[in-house]
Amino acid sequence: MTNNSDTTAGIYKETLLAGLWRENPVFRLLLGMCPTLAVTAAVKPALTMGLSVIFVLVCSNIVVSLMRNLLKPHLRILMFTLTISTFVTIADLFLRAFQPVMSETLGPYVPLIIVNCIIICRAEACASKNNLVVSIIDAIGMGVGFTLTLCALASIRELLSTGMIFEAKVMPAWFVPWAAMSMPVGAFITLGLLLGLVNKLTKGKS
Amino acid sequence: MYRREVKAVSKIKYFIQQSWLLIVSSFCFGLLLAIANAAWSPRIEQNRINKLNALADRLIPGADFVPLEKLGAAIKVKSLKGDEKDVEVYKAMAGEQCFGWIINAVGSGFQDKIELVIAVDKDFKTIAGFDVLACNETPYLGDKIKEKNFRDQFKGKLATKLELIQSGEAKDNKILAISGATISSEAVVKIINHYMKEVREEMQRKGLLGNDK
Repeated sequence: MTNNSDTTAGIYKETLLAGLWRENPVFRLLLGMCPTLAVTAAVKPALTMGLSVIFVLVCSNIVVSLMRNLLKPHLRILMFTLTISTFVTIADLFLRAFQPVMSETLGPYVPLIIVNCIIICRAEACASKNNLVVSIIDAIGMGVGFTLTLCALASIRELLSTGMIFEAKVMPAWFVPWAAMSMPVGAFITLGLLLGLVNKLTKGKS
Repeated sequence: MYRREVKAVSKIKYFIQQSWLLIVSSFCFGLLLAIANAAWSPRIEQNRINKLNALADRLIPGADFVPLEKLGAAIKVKSLKGDEKDVEVYKAMAGEQCFGWIINAVGSGFQDKIELVIAVDKDFKTIAGFDVLACNETPYLGDKIKEKNFRDQFKGKLATKLELIQSGEAKDNKILAISGATISSEAVVKIINHYMKEVREEMQRKGLLGNDK
């Protein structure tokens, strides 16, 4: 009995941690590159995008997991898309109602969560094959992993492009902002360097 | 005859067997979206009005903006798609004096609709400026229509036929297009030209122009 519950707790822990590091959607699976590059010029929009993705991931994984035994194989992608687009629209409406400035800053990238590969990938790889609890834990792990990655990237870019983090000045007065870091070129360079660093750290471990 | 009917029934049965989950889910998700929309749309509309007022205040500082609807003169013009549509027009007042108009104009951009706030002088002759209320144009390209450099070209231009040019100097009624975003630039010029003409004619018809009060 104790062994059984230990195994279950172990599975839950493994599932949660997988998204944070071992199967991190951005650094290890290279999924969701569009928002990773597009909304990481500052931490606030990156965090908002991350939280929106967590909401959509958790909700769509719950729905897909609950209907997994009823899904027809040839209609499953259609069902996933329908589910995901519903929750993305709700997230978009919520941001427009309660965070209008952030909604405007993120622009088309909120509706574009519908085509974010992480969400459909988790629906297909996890939620359609596992029970509700595992699906929710997987969604939280993947969502938090994605959010932390976005925030890490955004912190570096915001710090170097403005000398600030969360709009609070942190760099000394002599610091000259690197304007390029707020542009697409800054996103590509930072992502490339971070990917290189993660590859170096995990070399031989996978 | 009987065989054909049986075949048709079994086809419908097969269709329902295959797609019942999709049909039920579509209904449930539609209901969920309808509830979310009903709950939050008043707030979204209020946010839009707040932003419109803030932009109008930036274009004509220090004025009070009175919707023409409140003055009992709703303006209905042909939209760019050709259908009749109500247009939000505000009278910029300072005390009893009118010194401009604000128009909320909508048209199609490169990816989605573009919503503009246009300010004109009291005689509806020159443009005092415009700003973008909503747009989903391509980041770093089409969304440069929000930038001051592009918007400032319209200031003081005659509110008649603006003309978009690809290169050269933006003088007289010419507007220099944003490099790499010709469709978005063209959309802005088209929206302004269309609404200036239509709203002006409608207001003249209603006798709202030409009096200072």
